[in-house]
Amino acid sequence: MLFPPRRMNLIEQYLSYPAAPERILSIIGIEVHWLILQYVLGLPLAVLLLLLLYRRSGNENWLKLARTAVKALGLVFAVGVAAGTLVEFGLVVVWPNVLEAVGRYIYFPLYLEIFAFLAEIVFIYLLVFGWNKLSLTGKIVVAFLALFGAWFSAAMIMSVNSYMVAPTGIAPAFSQQAGWMYSQGYPKVLLVVPGDLVGALDVAKLQSLGMEVVGQVGSGVAVYMPSSIVARLAYEAWSAKTVGESALALVVKPEALPAVKSLLVKDVVDRILVETVRTIGYTTVTFQSPVYLGSFLHAVGSALTVTGFTIAGAFALLILLSRRRTAYYMDGLKFGAYFALVSIILQGAVFGHILGVEIARYNPEKLAAMEGTSSQILSIPRALGIEDLMKIIIYGSPDAKLPDYDQIPRDHCSLMGVPSIPDCRPPLILHYLYYAKTGLAILLALFSLGVVLLLRLGKELGSAWLWGLAASPVVAQVVSFLGWAVREIGRKPWTIYGVMTVDVAKTANPADPVVYAVAGLLFVAVVAGLVYAVWRLLLVPSLRGEGG
Amino acid sequence: MSAPVFFLALVFGVHIVAVNIGIALATIIPILKRRAVRAGDRALEGAARGLFRIYAVTYALAGVMGTAFTVFLLSFYPEFVGIAGNITMVPFGIAAISILFHFFAIVAYWYGWDRVSEGFHSLVGWLLTITAYTIPFGFRAVFAFLNTPQGLVLGEKPSLDVVQALLNPTFLPLYLKSVVGALTFGFLFIAGVYAYQGLRRELSSVEKGLYADSLRIGLMGLLAMLFLGPWYTLALVNVPVKFNNIFAGLGAALSAPTLSDYSWLFLVKMALVILQAALLLYLLVPRGGETTYTPQGFKASIAAAAAAGLTVLTGEYLNAFSQYPYFVANAPLIADKLPEPYRTLLTRALNLENLSPLAQDPALYLATVVGVAVLLAAAGYMLYLVFFKEGGE
Repeated sequence: MLFPPRRMNLIEQYLSYPAAPERILSIIGIEVHWLILQYVLGLPLAVLLLLLLYRRSGNENWLKLARTAVKALGLVFAVGVAAGTLVEFGLVVVWPNVLEAVGRYIYFPLYLEIFAFLAEIVFIYLLVFGWNKLSLTGKIVVAFLALFGAWFSAAMIMSVNSYMVAPTGIAPAFSQQAGWMYSQGYPKVLLVVPGDLVGALDVAKLQSLGMEVVGQVGSGVAVYMPSSIVARLAYEAWSAKTVGESALALVVKPEALPAVKSLLVKDVVDRILVETVRTIGYTTVTFQSPVYLGSFLHAVGSALTVTGFTIAGAFALLILLSRRRTAYYMDGLKFGAYFALVSIILQGAVFGHILGVEIARYNPEKLAAMEGTSSQILSIPRALGIEDLMKIIIYGSPDAKLPDYDQIPRDHCSLMGVPSIPDCRPPLILHYLYYAKTGLAILLALFSLGVVLLLRLGKELGSAWLWGLAASPVVAQVVSFLGWAVREIGRKPWTIYGVMTVDVAKTANPADPVVYAVAGLLFVAVVAGLVYAVWRLLLVPSLRGEGG
Repeated sequence: MSAPVFFLALVFGVHIVAVNIGIALATIIPILKRRAVRAGDRALEGAARGLFRIYAVTYALAGVMGTAFTVFLLSFYPEFVGIAGNITMVPFGIAAISILFHFFAIVAYWYGWDRVSEGFHSLVGWLLTITAYTIPFGFRAVFAFLNTPQGLVLGEKPSLDVVQALLNPTFLPLYLKSVVGALTFGFLFIAGVYAYQGLRRELSSVEKGLYADSLRIGLMGLLAMLFLGPWYTLALVNVPVKFNNIFAGLGAALSAPTLSDYSWLFLVKMALVILQAALLLYLLVPRGGETTYTPQGFKASIAAAAAAGLTVLTGEYLNAFSQYPYFVANAPLIADKLPEPYRTLLTRALNLENLSPLAQDPALYLATVVGVAVLLAAAGYMLYLVFFKEGGE
């Protein structure tokens, strides 16, 4: 059936999860920060390659282009730091509880990121301000160090984000053999419960709720705990409940209850999480997230793709506006086009595939929403008849089963109605976001292939191609924007998948939505300011022949 | 004290010195630019531009150290950050939005120089100056709250009565003292920059004028501090534990416990203030011969700037360490009166000795020391290359 008899209101569903104003503000903040950061990740590699090209060929245009790229890098980095500061404070005051959890249990990558950030500042500004005082070798070394700082920073941040997408030790609720496994308590979270706490718990009762004992690990016992129980405990921990007021009272041995009932749930949860992280390793816990590799590669790939199209687009625009095809403009265009093509092929065929397979395995609910396996919406692969192709891409077989969205229980993320989440399924709007992203990315890849082929054949690019290239950075940014939207919106109603829901993560004292709207507009103003600055400071001087 | 306290102190110290310089530069640069444009004085405009270059670099340093401070705080004291985050949306919001505008103003002012209309550039200059004062407004409101948590409401959930928080008796004197202290140090820093150049080459008449004016403004700031310093001290009567920790060793104590003795740090700070005053009087009081522009005068100016920087540093450390080991200075006086579960939560969350259990690894501390040392060395090289190495641009 192509058209569903009863359509779901996708916007209503998206807004139905708790903390809608906070979520909207955060997605704006993340997207704006990311829009800028892609150039901080991509431009150092471009500068490094350009300097190496210059060293090899002696073509002054590569050096001139590298200088322009460095200027752009200085500009976007400064604006990125401003947006990042707002995001940082936003996290502190809008999502303080998840930030506290991150700081307590998975702080290490953020800690290391400080050094990466310092390295970025030092080496990027060394390039910007010290350009004329550095030798060519010095420039190459500093460009490499700036690249290292930026990518190291991304590696750290992405590990924390990956942990939030799929925590280390998560056991998903779907398998090809068994289908959905919510009736057995999945998804489950691997925890190490300290020995003395195990003694106070009624293990048989917990097992009847779906807990699986893995075995003794060090001084604790490793268990797979249903995420519904974990989510409830997280809610109770950040609501300052005591064990006596908690669901824990139901699973504590009656003889142990008097001694522990006045303890804060937060303290009990803390002991379990500290023991878990200590057992896994506090320095490696986030890097062991099963979606980390794909997430990091996909983020870098996206940054390189956007950077490549932006360089190509900028020079196409210069050619169109100046009506001149100077050697400098053509070299810049060629460099950007090749850079973009290689990046987008890597991004789609390798990095995207790695991440897709990881998400399919560890976030099956998100996959179900992405693929739109619901009778309540018009499914694009169903309409196009490419469902089997999607199965081959994801699972390697046309006979594989895609997880059925409609069979996901709406209440699987809560225990006895706590936390109060109206719909535990990810928002179905994801389907259209994901397919819009994928469709645009394919068009972009084909377009860049066409441009490169024409360049290789020595044909002149007509104005349609040039206008297409000039528009390509916007399209690339939209694709990237949609990618992050899928990643972040698709995690809802979780903030940390299987562990903490958004209502727990948010501040106890939310601001008026008007305040959030103003903050959101500020982010948009940052982007508008950056676009204007790039136009005035980089493009206009280039048009005047000042080289940017 | 544990290593994390020293890490926090180190990054906070660098941050605070850099932002103090920034407040003065963000004030004076747009004024100089406007004056230069009005008078058509290219030399003055050049001097303003030179100062802005210093500002951009100091602000970058301040920014990264501020971020480092936040991350260190989060890593070592996550529960405190969680509680603070839940109640401080307004003061942190003021600071954060101000920082955003300030960053924007810095970028627009620097890249827009000679590229945008004078009117627009001047407008950005105003934004630069105003936000330089609204950033500490938000942060000092938080610092006053950390003296005594006026405005804290412990109902079903913790919240903040913002009006009450801004009426905190320590807020206004702390804010004004901080701002005037920043201007004092900042202008002496500017004088120090010109003095350093004066030791290497002949100063232009514009530079000489800026140098002398900076010294005079520094002296005026120092005189203002004679009023603002005691005002803050008097306000600390509302924070008796902190007051005692600073002044009990000097014979002045309130009826509250004395938990530590930082009177020595207060005396160091006072000695630095006296040194600044003596140097400024030496430089500015006419005694028949011109000392200001002599090598001795330049060296005295650099010494005054260094003393002013150390005064800011010791003042901030005095304010922070005199409430150690509590994030909130009045915590020992109010902890018993708090209802549960806040008593349990706040007692441990506000204790600086209560480090997060996963952040107590000596290897982590060693790596931090090495990492900070390497990167500060790299930052030093960058400063050398940009400001001191000959050739190039």
